[in-house]
Amino acid sequence: MTRSPLHNFSGRTALVLHRSPEIGQRIEDRCDRLGVRALVRNEDPDAEAARTADLVILDIDTADDGMLPWPRAAAPMPLIGLIGSESPGRLAWALAQEVDAFIPLSGLGHLFSAMVIAHEMFARKVDRRAREVELARRGSGRLDVIRAVLALMEGGRDEALALKQLRTMAMVEQISLEEAAARLLTERQTAGGRAR
Amino acid sequence: MTLRLGLIFSTTGSYAALGQSALAGALGAIETLQQHDAHLITPVIADPGGDMAAYERMTREMLQGGVRHIVGAITSWSRKEMIPLLERHGGLLWYPCPYEGFESNDHVVYLGASPNHHVVPVTDWIAAQGMRRAFLVGSNYVWGWETLRLARDCLTRRGVEVVGERHVPLGETTPDHILDEIRDRQADCVVDSLIGPSNTSFLQGMAARSRADISPVQVVSFNQSEADLAEIGPAANGLLSAGSFFEANASDMLRDAARRHAPNGRVSSFFATSFAAVEMIVAAVRSAGTDDPSSVFRAAVDTPLVTAMGSMPIDPVLRHAMLTPRLAMARNGRFEVVQSAAAPVAADPYMTSQTAGKFRATPASHRKLRVVK
Repeated sequence: MTRSPLHNFSGRTALVLHRSPEIGQRIEDRCDRLGVRALVRNEDPDAEAARTADLVILDIDTADDGMLPWPRAAAPMPLIGLIGSESPGRLAWALAQEVDAFIPLSGLGHLFSAMVIAHEMFARKVDRRAREVELARRGSGRLDVIRAVLALMEGGRDEALALKQLRTMAMVEQISLEEAAARLLTERQTAGGRAR
Repeated sequence: MTLRLGLIFSTTGSYAALGQSALAGALGAIETLQQHDAHLITPVIADPGGDMAAYERMTREMLQGGVRHIVGAITSWSRKEMIPLLERHGGLLWYPCPYEGFESNDHVVYLGASPNHHVVPVTDWIAAQGMRRAFLVGSNYVWGWETLRLARDCLTRRGVEVVGERHVPLGETTPDHILDEIRDRQADCVVDSLIGPSNTSFLQGMAARSRADISPVQVVSFNQSEADLAEIGPAANGLLSAGSFFEANASDMLRDAARRHAPNGRVSSFFATSFAAVEMIVAAVRSAGTDDPSSVFRAAVDTPLVTAMGSMPIDPVLRHAMLTPRLAMARNGRFEVVQSAAAPVAADPYMTSQTAGKFRATPASHRKLRVVK
């Protein structure tokens, strides 16, 4: 981990979901100091506002899945949860929604810290999801690798030599082994011929 | 109405010289303002001696005793100790020192320079001089850590390589191996965020070496002032420092007050800013007709005062003063101002103007520094 956490939020838009105008005003004031534009909503947000915000600050006491235009735990931006009542059920909801950082209503003066933490946790989540997708994709490509090795063995090579040849192809093309296998099989199919 | 004004400065301990200078500024202002009204202010003075626990205890005692306005704290560490108490008791701290930014508390008025007043002009200057290899050295606490982090960021963006970074525990002498490292890494400049004895020993060590075996290295500071310049002696010659005010900018009135109140008789940014803080508090209390901190703050924002430091309006949102960033070079115990902004510049404590954004709440204007002829 060499990336340093983001700490300049100037120019970003925060959607603030809280039913109290006083809390909304206080959050807007803190956002103002950080160069962040706050869009305070006292009721359920419209989908457009929720999708275009750079981050969402929400009241975990009153928020629910239905008011957020994304599947549970799939927010496309960092989420900051405002802690009010501390009821276990609401905390469980916020954790299930994968809220990235929390701030108690008594500590709004520390919104900057919550923003830094939320953006960093969100960035890590994005990285982790990308790695998981890549691993899944590779897993699904294993059969292609076996097929490609078998195809290359048709020329009389043994499996070790066939795999080495496939690796070399991947290296030259700067693609993964699975991609090289898929490409080889497609080419053979198109050409209707044999692997070189 | 007599205003009971808290003055919490460490006038003993490892950074006593800065506390003495700041306290002297406040007392100088009180004396000046009381020429027409002898009962205007009762100062309530405390010396925590650089001990963090004492800051907390003395702040609590003052606030519980009915003091609502305090000018004080030198280090960020001490300010952060005082803030929870100010929040609990509804007090207001008028903080007169340069600091590392990233704070905007509703119980503090920030009158000292922010990073865009010190780190940015100094790193601009380094790049403009054609220096390319910077070594960073700082005291091992939040001022050192954060100013050097910002310096690294700003220098890297300006194409200056950071060739090393070291931190020295607060109050300790800077060890020789750091000086060796600066030589071995062939640094052409050193960003110095050391304070107190670490700074004095470091500059003296560097000066001794520049006379002996290595080519001179430019040392730059974000906070060196006249408050403790004499302690360093001739070793300070050639040191470049940033500040919102230097003695060269002072009026005769301010110099006279310093001669009478400061132990070293010098005007520094600490002295001048504390002086200005007291002027602002008195004017704002008069204007508000009460010492209620939020009313006084609003009055200070609404009716900007031309202080002994000049114009320094307070941003109502960020609670920081606009200041005139200056760069000065130390020569024979004095600072000669080499660059100065043409007008006061808004503080940008969160450095939001360092990257382009779609929206900026508070325009932190970046006026170019002009060369002083």
